[in-house]
Amino acid sequence: MSLLHLLILTPLTFAVAIALAPASRARTIATIGCLVPIGPMLVALFNFDYSRGDLLQFAANIDWIPQMGLSLGVGVDSVSLLLIALTILLGPICVIGSYSAIQDNHKVFYGWLTGLQAAMVGVFAATDLVGFYISFEFTLLPLYVLINLFGSSNRKRAATKFFLYTFTGSIIALAGLVYVVLHHRGIEGAWTFDIPTLASTAMKMSAGEQALVLLALMLGFAVKVPLFPVHTWLPLAHTEAPTAGSVILAGVLLKLGTYGIYRFVLGFVPEAVIAYAPLIAVLSIVGIIYAGLICWVQKDVKKLVAYSSVSHLGFCVLGLVALNNIGLTGSVLYMINHGLSTGALFLCIGMVYERFHTRSMDELGGLAGTMPIWSSFMVFFVMASVGLPGLNGFVSEFMCIIGTFQSSPAWVLEGRAGAAGGSLGPWFAFAAGFGVIVAAMYLLYMTGRVIWGTPKHPHGHGNGHEDGHGHTPPSDLNTREIGLLSVLAVGCLVLGLYPTPVIEAIEPSVERTLAPYQDLLEARAQALMLTEGEG
Amino acid sequence: MLDLFLAQSAFPQAMGQGVLAHYLFVSAAMFTLGLVGFLTRRNLIIMFLCTEMMFQAAGIALVAFSRYHLNYDGQTFVIFVLTVAAAEAALALALVVFLFRKRDSLSAEAWLEMKG
Amino acid sequence: MTMFAGTLPTLLAAADGPFIATGSAPQWVALMPGLPLLGAALCVLFACLNVKSKLPGYATVALLAGGFVTALAAFLQGPDGYGVATIFRWIHASIGADADASITANFGFYMDGLSMLWMLFVTGLATVIGLYSTEYVASDKGLGYCRFFFAFNLFVFSMASLVMADNLLLLFLGWEGVGLCSYLLIGYFYKKPEAVAAAKKAFIINRIGDLGLLMAIGATFVVFGTLEFRPLFEMIAQGVDGKGQAIGHTWVVVVIPLLLTAGAFGKSAQLFFYVWLPDAMEGPTPVSALIHAATMVTAGVYLIARMFPLYAADDAMVALTVVAWCGAITAFWAATIEFAQYDIKRIMGYSTISQLGFMFAGLGLLGTTGAVFHVFTHAFFKATLFLCCGAVMHGFGGQLSLRRLSGVMWMKGFGITGVCMFIGCLSLSGVPFTAGFFSKDMILAQAFATPDEMIGGATFIGLLLLLTATMTAYYTFRVFFRVFVGPRHFEPGEDDHGHDDGLGHDAHAHHHHNPTEEEEGDALHTGFHPHAPGWAMNGAMVLLAVGTILVASLYFVNKKEDHGWAGTMVRHSTAAYPSPGLAHGKDKPAATTVEPLPLGAPAPEHGQAGKPHAKAGTFLGQDPFKIMYYVSAVLGLIGILAAAWFHAPKGAWGLGIGNRELPSKVRMDAVAARFGPIPKWAENKWYVDELYHAIIVKPLLVLSHVFHAFDKLVIDGLVDLVGALPRWLGTLLRPSQSGVLHGYATGMVAGSAVLIVLVVLVAMWS
Repeated sequence: MSLLHLLILTPLTFAVAIALAPASRARTIATIGCLVPIGPMLVALFNFDYSRGDLLQFAANIDWIPQMGLSLGVGVDSVSLLLIALTILLGPICVIGSYSAIQDNHKVFYGWLTGLQAAMVGVFAATDLVGFYISFEFTLLPLYVLINLFGSSNRKRAATKFFLYTFTGSIIALAGLVYVVLHHRGIEGAWTFDIPTLASTAMKMSAGEQALVLLALMLGFAVKVPLFPVHTWLPLAHTEAPTAGSVILAGVLLKLGTYGIYRFVLGFVPEAVIAYAPLIAVLSIVGIIYAGLICWVQKDVKKLVAYSSVSHLGFCVLGLVALNNIGLTGSVLYMINHGLSTGALFLCIGMVYERFHTRSMDELGGLAGTMPIWSSFMVFFVMASVGLPGLNGFVSEFMCIIGTFQSSPAWVLEGRAGAAGGSLGPWFAFAAGFGVIVAAMYLLYMTGRVIWGTPKHPHGHGNGHEDGHGHTPPSDLNTREIGLLSVLAVGCLVLGLYPTPVIEAIEPSVERTLAPYQDLLEARAQALMLTEGEG
Repeated sequence: MLDLFLAQSAFPQAMGQGVLAHYLFVSAAMFTLGLVGFLTRRNLIIMFLCTEMMFQAAGIALVAFSRYHLNYDGQTFVIFVLTVAAAEAALALALVVFLFRKRDSLSAEAWLEMKG
Repeated sequence: MTMFAGTLPTLLAAADGPFIATGSAPQWVALMPGLPLLGAALCVLFACLNVKSKLPGYATVALLAGGFVTALAAFLQGPDGYGVATIFRWIHASIGADADASITANFGFYMDGLSMLWMLFVTGLATVIGLYSTEYVASDKGLGYCRFFFAFNLFVFSMASLVMADNLLLLFLGWEGVGLCSYLLIGYFYKKPEAVAAAKKAFIINRIGDLGLLMAIGATFVVFGTLEFRPLFEMIAQGVDGKGQAIGHTWVVVVIPLLLTAGAFGKSAQLFFYVWLPDAMEGPTPVSALIHAATMVTAGVYLIARMFPLYAADDAMVALTVVAWCGAITAFWAATIEFAQYDIKRIMGYSTISQLGFMFAGLGLLGTTGAVFHVFTHAFFKATLFLCCGAVMHGFGGQLSLRRLSGVMWMKGFGITGVCMFIGCLSLSGVPFTAGFFSKDMILAQAFATPDEMIGGATFIGLLLLLTATMTAYYTFRVFFRVFVGPRHFEPGEDDHGHDDGLGHDAHAHHHHNPTEEEEGDALHTGFHPHAPGWAMNGAMVLLAVGTILVASLYFVNKKEDHGWAGTMVRHSTAAYPSPGLAHGKDKPAATTVEPLPLGAPAPEHGQAGKPHAKAGTFLGQDPFKIMYYVSAVLGLIGILAAAWFHAPKGAWGLGIGNRELPSKVRMDAVAARFGPIPKWAENKWYVDELYHAIIVKPLLVLSHVFHAFDKLVIDGLVDLVGALPRWLGTLLRPSQSGVLHGYATGMVAGSAVLIVLVVLVAMWS
């Protein structure tokens, strides 16, 4: 047993408790169940040795089927630790944020929501492929239930599509992972599912094999991210999901995809990654601009933010395939930042939806006058999302772009001071930079429609009370809601003004991930130099 | 093993191949009758009786082979089949009655719920 | 890089190359951004406490005054206080374990002459304009008031970060921060659709420029391996990049400056990007005065002045030529539009664009001192002009139309406004011995002093600027003669609450038709009383007007050594440059050999011997810096006389040549009529907005809709198609499930028969 087992088992236990306890207690138990892991989480954060963030710490193994090399191993490096921290932070926010939104069926809602926490922590904590994959797939089920039972009008279709689409993706990824395991067995003669061990053998695969594995893994994880063009499940799922579902989906579940790319694609098949990085980068950039432009013509606020996730995650993947320290570090930071700011945006939209029962920009307007507190928060998080320096989004977005900028073999050949290998370059950064402009376009368009302008009176206002037919203005946020948003706002501000500790924590893990790339990239640059010399 | 057993027992002689053929002919005839009846008739009770007939045909074949091979297993099996068939008959007839009550008809074509 | 640190300070301070502040500035300079930040926090607190008094405004003014005192204290330390003050480490990310380059961006402040000069007028004007605002937005006391002063404070913080940043990333923070505050403040009257649209437009157009800046930051980092100014300028001064390779004659000194220029043009509303600034006039007037005239829009000038060594490192001066040409063309272009505008605030907006064009032209023509001095004087006189326009707007219910106001100066309570306006107009027109006269002259003269071999077409630029200066005098006094003097007349605007939170501007609603006598008569009898400015607004206007007069004297401070106080400040900054005709800190006679070496210590391997030793140009055979006084004075006078002839009322205030008797009827009308549709085109700003809408916005919108449909139909359609495949297969097999018991039985029998046959066949085979 380690701290990490505790972090997985606590929510699981509470989820079971919710199932057994009377429905009237479900909410309380869920709240406690999500707050309790903060304790061990803080212990973990304080006891983690950040100077060795590349090592798996708090590692522990519980043997499962030793003959098959199966065990329930856990352990975290700095990247996993930070993502677990994000998960644990968002848990209570989702639960407490659902107090007013979820009226009945408490047991099902809070039970699954709490159970989901366990699965997500499991994904990040697992050092064992089977443990990882089980957790990875188990995250689908709770969200399926949450969307299917608590979503909006088109929820059934959204839930089914979400489940089948991402499930299909992960099955393909599984094929890739199984191939790696079999490959290892073929070489070493023994079964193992230990991820670091597998990584070391997977790297030795031939280029063709690596490409195949990359294809399988990328297909799976790209669906989860989601990367253009396999993104269409996301807007639907987001729009239909209950607020808590959207927050978790944007905040953590999408990061499972980028985390998968970071851990498995980058960790397992370096040669193929270097070869295919430009292709993946192109898809990311197309996604950034394409999804951004689609955002611009949305009428549904939530759908807009959902598409913006597609756009934002494009930066995240772009940073990953930049294949240098700054790009990767920025990308990991992006995962956390996006979780905070987009999670907060969904929370904000949920709060408005509870009051007006609409998310249409045609019906909402001038909320600055009627709901000044909400509007202030909204503008704040919009700015965080736009990438305003001083708030969190900027640091990571900037690092992703600069990482991409640096990542040109030409810089290495020219011997530039700030050169760092990779297969992208300034033109990729320039193209991605348009995403920054587009982000301002669609988010300010939304702000202009919803927050500014003359106040409109949508039908369902009145804070859910039945007196809603008079022109009583809807109430602004209550203490609970202000508290929730403040937590996230403080997070955004701190990560925007003082991100250095987090960056320095991420760096060792990134450096270890990139270690196999140094020689490959160098060899590649030298090969380029030779061809240039001949030419 | 079997030889030892046969030597010790007072079991009658195995029947000849010709005799076996007769039994099998009867069995086949009954089975065919049952099958044809099942496929052609629409009345649920008749159809049920036809299945019973096919059961018994199989039973005859089993017993005959059992005798031919001097192996008790076949006969044991038939006893089981008879028992099960009895229980099944009770159940099936009850179902038929139930179905009849639902539709006021014994025709199998009154029930098309399984249409895809 | 640190290895250069020891070799430079004495060398560079002495030469005319960039001055690099190597000392350490006192930590308390952080109060300049710190106090406004505290103010912003206080405003949030006041909003939470639901303060309904003017407390947020007064608190802001007090804190901003504190910032100004800090700036003054820092200034009084002189060059000894120049250096870097590091407060805390903001971003630090290494590019690799074995590489020594890293992205390091501290909250650190780089104090030198340039940042000092900027901070002086930023904090000073912010204080005065803050005072003015306490009264101007008083009708919004409560949340709106807090919101206003929150953004106001945050703006000063951002501007201070921008100007004092010791690295490009913190500069970018300030850069985007001022953009945000500009967005919030333009959209202050958020119920007005025009204001919201203008705010959005400003932010987005700025972002387009910011992409250039961002790319410049990326390229700077890759080439120099650092974003911090001190090592950066040390390298540039040596003419090398982060690995010691020479940067002259490479793309580095062309591409990076051009990218920076894109950013600068976005923020400073130059060529292609200018369209946001006129619309930004939807914001409250104090905001227009502070942000969109005096400070924020000069950030682009600051950026180029700050990075000037990189621009000047290019022998061919490609980027500077671009800057000069774009500046001059913008100056002229904006002036043509002003001729036909009727909204006095918009006129001032276009005038700002035009004056910024002068500043950029000055920079591009290698006259950093003139450009920076013009920034300084322009801040004062343009802020004065805006505040006076604001007082009029505030007093007459949001009325801004040239045709509906007349003789305002003679109305009760508006005397001070009129006098201040007059002072501002004199300065903007460049009437001799005003601040604007001296600063504009430096730029105009520089255009002729800088030889064409260095900056292609410098002479032509000079002529264009001279023409623009004449036009400036004309349009400035057109406003003054029509609105402030002459027969008293007014029609109140649609906003009768005494501030400009109205249903839209008259400029949009009315200026397409000339009101008849009856309409005017009606307007006069609505019982509206002008709302004269109170002590705070009058005080602020007077302070600024006095300031406008006083800053002229700065031209004579250190005249011999540095061509004025601004020259002293510039000499102690990275913008220091041996401007042709002004070289080496002395007034050299014309035709002196100019040493255009931009680099204090050129890298030996790259060598500068091949550079042309061009001669400083002349104007009418004289030293341009001497003769320009007379030339520009005459041209300014011609502009004013033209304005008087066409627009002024009868009598002394019409200089004896005006003949206007009605507010809306002037000699110009007849002249304009002769030009056919051209005045109309100019009034509609040459339809540039419409052009942009047609060639950029509209196609993009269509593209977005296409993408949206494509996403829904094609991409998601494909997904659904794949999902439908199993279902379709099921449909194929469906008929086999008839539901008829006999069907199944027959099937079973047939299947069994086939199986048996197969078994038999297989058995026979083997």
